[in-house]
Amino acid sequence: MTLLEFSRGPMLHAALVIFVLGVLWRLTSTVLAARRKNNAEPRVVGGPALSGGLIAVGSRSWPHPEFIPRTGFGEAVGYGYHLGLFAIVLLGAPHVVFWKNLFGINAPFWPTLPTGIISVLSVVTVFLMLIATLRRAAHPVLRRISNFDDWFTLAILYALMLTGIMAVFGIGGRYETILALHIISFNALLIWFPFGKLMHAFYIFPSRFVNGYMHTKKGAAS
Amino acid sequence: MSVRSPDSRPTIGQILDENGVGRRRFLKYCAGITALMAMPPGSTTAFAQQLRAARRPTIIYMPFQECTGCIESLTRSFAPTIESLIFDTVSLDYNHTLQAAAGHAAEAARLEAMEANWDNYVLICDGSIPVNDGGIYGASAGESFVHQLEHAAEGAAAIVAVGVCASYGGVGAAYPNPTGAKGVAEIIKNKPIINVPGCPPIPEVMTGTLVSFLASGVPALDKHLRPQAFFGNTIHDRCYRRRFYDRGLFAESFDDEGARNGWCLYKLGCRGPTTYNACATIKWNGGTSWPVESGHGCLGCSEPDFWDQGGFYEPVTSKLFRDTGQVAAGAAAGVAIGAASAIAANARKKKLAAKAEEEVSS
Amino acid sequence: MNTATQSFSASSDRLSPSQREERAMAAFAQEFGALAALNLESCIHCGICAEACHFYIATEDAKYTPILKAEPFKQAYRREASAFAPFFKLFGLKKKVTADQLEQWQELLYDSCNLCGRCSLICPMGIEVADLIESGRRSMAEAGLAPKELLDRARKQAESGAPEQPDKPYPELLNEIGQANGLEIPLDRAKAEILVLAPRNDLEGNPAAVAAMVKVLQAIGADFTFSSDALVAENYGYYAGSRGLQKKITQRVVDAARKVNAKLLLVPECGHSYTALRWQAANIIGEPLPFRVRHVTEYLAEQLKEGKLRLKQVSGDSFAFHDPCQLVRKGGVTEAPRALMNALGLELKEMENKKGFSFCCGGGGGVNDLERAKPLRYRAQELKLREIDDTGANRFVTSCSDCRVAFADAAEHFNWDKQPESLVELVAANIKE
Repeated sequence: MTLLEFSRGPMLHAALVIFVLGVLWRLTSTVLAARRKNNAEPRVVGGPALSGGLIAVGSRSWPHPEFIPRTGFGEAVGYGYHLGLFAIVLLGAPHVVFWKNLFGINAPFWPTLPTGIISVLSVVTVFLMLIATLRRAAHPVLRRISNFDDWFTLAILYALMLTGIMAVFGIGGRYETILALHIISFNALLIWFPFGKLMHAFYIFPSRFVNGYMHTKKGAAS
Repeated sequence: MSVRSPDSRPTIGQILDENGVGRRRFLKYCAGITALMAMPPGSTTAFAQQLRAARRPTIIYMPFQECTGCIESLTRSFAPTIESLIFDTVSLDYNHTLQAAAGHAAEAARLEAMEANWDNYVLICDGSIPVNDGGIYGASAGESFVHQLEHAAEGAAAIVAVGVCASYGGVGAAYPNPTGAKGVAEIIKNKPIINVPGCPPIPEVMTGTLVSFLASGVPALDKHLRPQAFFGNTIHDRCYRRRFYDRGLFAESFDDEGARNGWCLYKLGCRGPTTYNACATIKWNGGTSWPVESGHGCLGCSEPDFWDQGGFYEPVTSKLFRDTGQVAAGAAAGVAIGAASAIAANARKKKLAAKAEEEVSS
Repeated sequence: MNTATQSFSASSDRLSPSQREERAMAAFAQEFGALAALNLESCIHCGICAEACHFYIATEDAKYTPILKAEPFKQAYRREASAFAPFFKLFGLKKKVTADQLEQWQELLYDSCNLCGRCSLICPMGIEVADLIESGRRSMAEAGLAPKELLDRARKQAESGAPEQPDKPYPELLNEIGQANGLEIPLDRAKAEILVLAPRNDLEGNPAAVAAMVKVLQAIGADFTFSSDALVAENYGYYAGSRGLQKKITQRVVDAARKVNAKLLLVPECGHSYTALRWQAANIIGEPLPFRVRHVTEYLAEQLKEGKLRLKQVSGDSFAFHDPCQLVRKGGVTEAPRALMNALGLELKEMENKKGFSFCCGGGGGVNDLERAKPLRYRAQELKLREIDDTGANRFVTSCSDCRVAFADAAEHFNWDKQPESLVELVAANIKE
């Protein structure tokens, strides 16, 4: 079995099973943890409060104007590479056909961006990731609170991005080997996902919602 | 069929002179070959000299578990070529398909030819060699293919494995490989082997490799023992539709606007990116066309296990596993374990909280 | 920034380190649940919460990062109650929270946190960071590691109704205020629509504010009373982080309100008691309250809207308004004070960080009571005073007595040119008959 066959055969299969098992384990155990009823008389009830929660899911992505001077740079870099990653993963033609094949979905109107643009985006994304990494290593707050999870997750992302760039620009060796390493990096991401901070991809929704909901119930800023 | 002693074999140069091939025509031919193999411009003269001086080789061509497609490809020629001259007059001392003789006499003749040219003949093989159950799935004249190969390889100067089956097992080795089909290089370990894979290989690649071997021995090979001159680049890197790939213009089905406009066939399963062959440059049928140009994606037919890389219309990165409920089972297990862990955590919470001195209601 | 290690509360100097660890863990466990889990799991270590905290902004010291204050809680949760807790334990990936750690965290959870909630607003993941710090305080109190001042005052208040022995008993102080201002202050009436509380800060330090509140209530003909069972609004149990003591103090207030059949519990100019009574009381005693809870500015704004309160215009000066954290950011009483100021015709010059985004006065969360935290508090307050100056207003008003105490102290320290004024006093001084 070649490395490429292994990476998209048994390893991908195992990675998917671990991913699904781990994510659901972690989410279920959070959701089913003990709950307390809130007996306080709210200022805003029912529908509007729920809307407040739903709105917060989106609105927290943009910092309030009072916070922008101090957080603008960090947030811009962070959202920047997130947007880059989403665009590459969801709009890059080789990825689109991969998802369609993996999930067996037929979505004829899924648009794709030209490879040239994806290539440029990849380089920009890695550049932003580098800024974020250097920032994490240099900023006093980030140095104080960063742990293994933060660095290991970054390492996996770099492996993904760099092997992807190498594949697309045709550098670093035989294409099928680089492609295999790229898929292995993705498998590593899937396997690590449930155990680290990547879970924020799921937690962000209930967390922002609850924050917005509870604040809106009190009539407070959210 | 003639048997000559090694010393008195005519050279290629003599054969060409006998057949009236002039110097100019010959040099033009050599220039063509060296260009085809991307050799440096100044090498034509040396190549010509070496080829002229080469002795007409004895070739033993042994077919194994094959479909005869490789011989068919090799013998496709629309006009007499110098190769055909070389090979028609070459001592093709044994070839099932082409020879008229058959039966015990034919086998005896083969063995005689091998004896007479021991250590000097070129063994060309096509078809895979089945090894399971003592090799009974492939036999000829009462002898298994494995034995035949091993015996023939012993006296060979070099072996050329033509076609993807002889190179790595090919269609015979496709899952579940019931006959234990293998390529030559997986069985013979002590002779120089050149793989010329393809299903079938391009005729000019086969003949070009043979001519190059005659002139200057075993050429530079890649990790799959394929001549780098023909197998050094991927189809993707030489494809004339590459610009459409880069611009993101793909055919989504075989009769849509994209297909009719000749756009990239990546989404229709083209294996170009991971396939090393010369189809995009040399093309087929004397340079008429090739699969992509005809509107069908590359099948990757010169690569190992190309039959088992997922459906031909699935992407080159398609999943190579069949999920028979493992992912769903993982999901169910995740929920179940998560629930159990929540229950355990809640119980632990109660137990630990009971140690608090200050009374609270919740 | 090195604050001295604090002496621990007297009664639990007897606790050994392992006892402290066990009791802290018990308090953590009480806080575990779906909400805590969601908050603790969502953190991505982005460090943005630090940029909201005035202690970090003033000092640039990374140890004041809000989420770092919650670290012992996070550690305990991961080890005991998270999805993969057994593995964290088995492989020693998360150690037990030690008494040493807790001692180190005291200054982070008390001295350098006003529980102001600004961090909860900035977090891109929507984590309630301030709530996590409140949970952290609970373990400290349980382990006998809350600052002595706060825990002592909480105990006293739970026992007697007064956090510190006043010069005179509160009812007597109240009577004196009535006499000094020509007001008949209703105390211990059998039944009343409204039970009113007084800030002890004002009872002892600024009686005019109490008198003002009474004057306005009488002017609108409110049916109210004070109760000597529960006279003051503050809840030192909340500051100390002791659930039990917070509950005792709250229960006293709730019982007093029930006793007089009150329909409304009126919270005076005090911030944290609004949080403690409006948002936390029903949950801490375990059932919905049989009365509404409103802040005095909310109530007066209601009366204004219904036409029962009419105000004269104040002219000549411009005002800056400080939004008390517990009232506005955490309480939602954002528009009521502005309605009152509008009715007064005040020329209001809003701060750059206003309403739900205003910076804390620096004294909240019990920091007013911590002597050793003064140097740090002043550094944070410097930012706020400058911000108020930048509005160009020549007067300064707010609606929380704790804030007024904090600002008054800062004014003295910095030789500031303004004094904090009470909004209710302004209202009382300008009632249109």
